[in-house]
Amino acid sequence: MPLFSKKEKEKATRLFYACDIHGSEPTYRKFLNAAKFYEVDALVFGGDLMGKLLIPMVREAGGTWRARLQGQSHHIKSEEELAEFKLTMQTLGFYWQEMDPEEYASYEGQQDRIDDLFDVLAKERLAQWVTLAEERLADTPVHVYLCGGNDDTDEVLSALDETTTDRVVNAENRVVPLDDEHELLTIGYSTPTPWETPRERTDEEIGEVIEKLMPSVSDPAKTVFNFHCPPLDSGLDTCLKLDASVWPPKPVIERGQPVHYGAGSQAVADALANHQPTVGLHGHIHESRGATKYGRTPAFNPGSEYGEGVLRGLIVAIRGGEVIGHQFTSG
Amino acid sequence: MAEAAAAPQVFTRRASGLVRVMSPYSAFIYNVLTMGIIFPWTYVWAPTALEGSNLVLGIVFAFVFELPIALAYVWLATSMPRSGGDYVFQSRVFGGGFGFTVVFAFFVVWILQWVALSGWLLATLGIAPTFIGLGVTTGVGAFTDIGTWAASTTGIIVISIVNALAALVLLVTGFRNYVRFQYVMWYAILISFGIVLLLFLLNDPASATAKLDTFAGEVNGVQGFFETARAAAAEAGVNFDPPFWLLGTLLVAPIAWTSLQWATYSSEQGGEIKNANVFRSQVFIIVGSLTLTAGLLILLAVAMQKGIGEDGILVASSGYWYGVAEATIGGNVMFPNLMAMGLTGSWIVVLLIGIGFILNSFQIVCNCYIGTTRIMVAQGLDGLLPDWFARVHPRWKTPVNAHIAYFLAALPVIWGFNMVGEWARWTLGVTFANGAVMTLSALAAALLPYRARKVYEASPGAAYTVGSVPLVTVVGLLGFVFGSFMVGSFLFREELGLAYTGDAVPYYIVLGTAVFGLLVYFVMRQVRASAGLKVEYAFREIPPE
Repeated sequence: MPLFSKKEKEKATRLFYACDIHGSEPTYRKFLNAAKFYEVDALVFGGDLMGKLLIPMVREAGGTWRARLQGQSHHIKSEEELAEFKLTMQTLGFYWQEMDPEEYASYEGQQDRIDDLFDVLAKERLAQWVTLAEERLADTPVHVYLCGGNDDTDEVLSALDETTTDRVVNAENRVVPLDDEHELLTIGYSTPTPWETPRERTDEEIGEVIEKLMPSVSDPAKTVFNFHCPPLDSGLDTCLKLDASVWPPKPVIERGQPVHYGAGSQAVADALANHQPTVGLHGHIHESRGATKYGRTPAFNPGSEYGEGVLRGLIVAIRGGEVIGHQFTSG
Repeated sequence: MAEAAAAPQVFTRRASGLVRVMSPYSAFIYNVLTMGIIFPWTYVWAPTALEGSNLVLGIVFAFVFELPIALAYVWLATSMPRSGGDYVFQSRVFGGGFGFTVVFAFFVVWILQWVALSGWLLATLGIAPTFIGLGVTTGVGAFTDIGTWAASTTGIIVISIVNALAALVLLVTGFRNYVRFQYVMWYAILISFGIVLLLFLLNDPASATAKLDTFAGEVNGVQGFFETARAAAAEAGVNFDPPFWLLGTLLVAPIAWTSLQWATYSSEQGGEIKNANVFRSQVFIIVGSLTLTAGLLILLAVAMQKGIGEDGILVASSGYWYGVAEATIGGNVMFPNLMAMGLTGSWIVVLLIGIGFILNSFQIVCNCYIGTTRIMVAQGLDGLLPDWFARVHPRWKTPVNAHIAYFLAALPVIWGFNMVGEWARWTLGVTFANGAVMTLSALAAALLPYRARKVYEASPGAAYTVGSVPLVTVVGLLGFVFGSFMVGSFLFREELGLAYTGDAVPYYIVLGTAVFGLLVYFVMRQVRASAGLKVEYAFREIPPE
């Protein structure tokens, strides 16, 4: 369907949706630049901002550092090498901390301290991202709607509340206006995973959160559901089945092939089917890029390739509570 | 200080997304199955088309040529673990229009020919020899009649359509059904192949000739089959004592490559946290399965030389290359499995051989669907094919539309392949087309560090260099050179395909499919543009700065 009908005078709202960038700096910067690049009116993020690994860079004599990345040892000998190394880590979404050998030794076996350090570095990065968004979008009418996903801790996400800006909207667990006629309802939780992530909820709990927020919605038909967790068995939630009885979890193999299954939420599927919003935007399962429909409501998962520095996303044009066009992107 | 000399361990969160590396064995199996150990062409095409060539050495060359291509795919798959596939590899490096055109034309369109070919294999390599063999060993004439019918034009068409339809039904009703079936296929094919090997190894030319005479006598109703066939082959031009030909041996490689090239067809890698273990595991899987398959192909060549001798191989080949009617049994070319059936008096053994070949033929048509429908879904999601192709069945969660489209598109190809006399000659480009995709992907791998630098640098393969040159560039370039030799041979050597016809039609058809692919790209680009959508957004990188 055409985005701009000759007969209709009302302009469609174009959103750009992406998710699951897991701390990748270049991918986040691309997300901000997508506003101008794709000529959209709003940037909507679907959760999972935090990176997954922290690389200790241990200082050695002679102004060098030693670190391990992707299973390889690195002896970094110059500032130039250091800058390149940090760039690679940024792309992968990892954090790093320079430390003396004694400091490194004090962290070994201290998971609580490591988790705290993660929170500190991730919160710092998120705060920087919020500031960057404000700078990049200052002279534009574009808002960026941020939220967390299941991988993000509440401590890190508090950076969204602590930083007040004109352009950045903390959409987490609330209903916010998207344009003159549409609203955005955002929920960042997921169903349980093999990794016991910080913001997992049971399916029943996710359903309760959805229903608790629905009264705040003016018109469900003109609402965009930004639910990090995709609907169950929708094709947007297909991933490897894992045996969590071992650590790290291992793929379940049957008859020589890895087993795939739907890891999404029935509560999300029910919400899409029952409330029939304008559109469902989902992430969480990075390898499950796709589209499906619940009655009149299309649902999408653009997937994620943050680790390669590629921004997978989706442009959606909405008007009058309907999706009038969509386009998967890879930037 | 000693502690600092060892690289520090990475700090992880519980929510790391870390997954234990999959056992290589499972991917190993699928790769070996995909490589088509039953493809007979190396054994019936090469010996008389390339007189003086050494089969065993030719297969070794094919392995050596395929190795850098396969390694290049390891780099590609572990650099871009989410996307998977030649379409994305080539789009990232060469651009979306190029990636779409090459993969759509040379895989999606040309693999329709493989759907027809797999039906032909099922009929002539699977069902016909099995029933003919059963007819001889049990004395039940009806079996022989079925076998003869299966090898007839009508039989091949009917079997091909049923083959394609059965694969469609199996795959759309859920991939798990296919996986269960594939498990059975794996063991059946191994058993079947093993029996064929054993039968050749347990015979010698004298005993084999006698047994084949008896077998052919029951089927053809002729006496002295082998003597007659040999004489007819000699009269057709077969030299039974050719001098060794090195170039000819090199040219065996492209033929054997029609099996080994598929080592990369299933290269997919899901990796949340990329690491060197995943990279090394992929090297093991691809090189391991390639080595095993090449080894099996070599074993069969050695076994055939032991069992029926060089003369026997040349006689069998004359039925294929020179079309010597006397060198066929029940109208069938003496493919290795048919000869093996002639070497046994047991209907059980015949059945075991037959089942393996029937199942591997069916495996091939499944592979056709699996690969091409994934490509069509990806291209549909990118807006380069109508959305309809990417739709998933609500209950089965499979891209049923893409499967149905492929089945329907295969029907005229099946008909043409079997009914249009010139079809096989015109479409000799199939060997070139599929190989061209892999050759170009090898080039994409070579250029990955330069054309998609950030993607490359974030990958575990970036650690491997030769001096200052990325190792992927070395293997990719080698793969491109070797691949070019092989696809070039298909294009320009008379013995290997397009040039054999002596006319330009096959070349026009190859060019025509490429032009068709380009046309689809431009049409879809225009259709999307008229709806306010830009297909370039599926490929164009956003600058981060």
